Amino acid sequence: MLKFLRSTILSKIVMAVSGAAIVGFLIAHLTGNLLMFGGPEKINAYGQGLRDLGPLLWIMRGGLIVVLVLHVISSIFLADKNRSARPINYEKKKSLQSTLASRSMFFSGLTILTFVTYHLLHYTLGIVQPQFFHGEYTLHDGRVVHDVYTMVIYGFRNPFITITYVLAMTFVCLHISHAVPSAFQTLGINNVKYNAMIKKASAALAALILVGYLSIPAAIMAGALKLIEGAK
Amino acid sequence: MKLNLKIWRQQNAGTEGKVVDYMLDDVSPDMSFLEMLDILNEKLIVKGDEPVAFDHDCREGICGACSLMINGVPHGPEKATTTCQLHMRKFHDGEEITIEPWRANAFPVIKDLVVDRSSFDRIIQKGGFISASTGNAPDGNAIPISKIDADLAMDNAACIGCGACVAACKNGSASLFVSAKVAHLGYLPQGQPERFRRVIAMVDQMDTEGFGSCSNTYDCEAACPKGISVRNIARMNRDYLKANLFGV
Repeated sequence: MLKFLRSTILSKIVMAVSGAAIVGFLIAHLTGNLLMFGGPEKINAYGQGLRDLGPLLWIMRGGLIVVLVLHVISSIFLADKNRSARPINYEKKKSLQSTLASRSMFFSGLTILTFVTYHLLHYTLGIVQPQFFHGEYTLHDGRVVHDVYTMVIYGFRNPFITITYVLAMTFVCLHISHAVPSAFQTLGINNVKYNAMIKKASAALAALILVGYLSIPAAIMAGALKLIEGAK
Repeated sequence: MKLNLKIWRQQNAGTEGKVVDYMLDDVSPDMSFLEMLDILNEKLIVKGDEPVAFDHDCREGICGACSLMINGVPHGPEKATTTCQLHMRKFHDGEEITIEPWRANAFPVIKDLVVDRSSFDRIIQKGGFISASTGNAPDGNAIPISKIDADLAMDNAACIGCGACVAACKNGSASLFVSAKVAHLGYLPQGQPERFRRVIAMVDQMDTEGFGSCSNTYDCEAACPKGISVRNIARMNRDYLKANLFGV
């Protein structure tokens, strides 16, 4: 199954396709998160909606895990190959037209992976802040569901968690600002005419993702998103 | 001009090298970079020292023999220029110039600034050719080729195989070189019968030689003395994917 690892280009293609799936997830996840601005009813109903998917949710999660594992495996293979391709470094080496983002993909990727682990321990598994994880909320239709809204607000009231989050999202922005045009190049679905447009659209997407994800902690710190009266 | 040269000296592949300082006076700004090194070597020989070994051949910027990492840039500071066509007027009096060989696992140092680039030859041997029947020379205009394709093929045929792309790449990747060779024949009708076999064979050999992968940083394009475009890498990836998906 991992036969693609024998070739650098096939590994790069796996990187590009799995990366595209991850960008798709980032957009979907952001759309869900932005329901925070719709109030506790919206975001909690959305959270319950995801849980109600049942086996379908697990298929989606499984798909995400496979994609992530493929992305990480090929990145490790490529990074190792790249490192051994230059055993002795230059005394002096200048970057000519490469960007910081393009040169730090492995580092930014590693940082993001570490954050994702922490993020799952926090909001998915409830290990980081267990005291806020088991809150309950009663929807308008009377169903008692997991209180995502309150959990998120308590999370971002913690400065350590907010700073970590802001840093991680900056790395995500940096990573995808290079990753998206790079994926087009790797898959060969670009040309001289569209390259400038792809570059601009990728930068806009990276900025949009950064602003979108940071809008929630920003709104919480600014007091625009408040706790529900009477919630613990 | 007076120069402070810091040059990589290494006796042979088996020994460890180091940077050695040389002060050089009376350098004319009209000298080429290699002429400057010739002057240094003459002085070293008079002193009874070993001259600095470096690669050079035509000194016209068309053969691909010269190399040198000059102050961290392959072929030095002038854009789209080989080291032999670089002149000392691009430097200032009293400047410190660091001169190193190409650094790549697939380009082992032979001596001082000379590296073994036969890995490129082995890649060419795998597919950098077209198969043609022998016999009389073919009729000049028997196969019509569009001006656009002829130009694109020619742009890529300009690659002199110097290895600056590998030297500039943070991953020591040969993607720009291989993609130019693949595109040069791939744009022409004569290159079509072997097009997909060629890309598989050349890319696989590139991987076997121990070059790194392409991270799309594009430093290679900026370093290339012949201005080969990274658009060819996208084209090579496309052909390689097609060849893998649909067979050759």
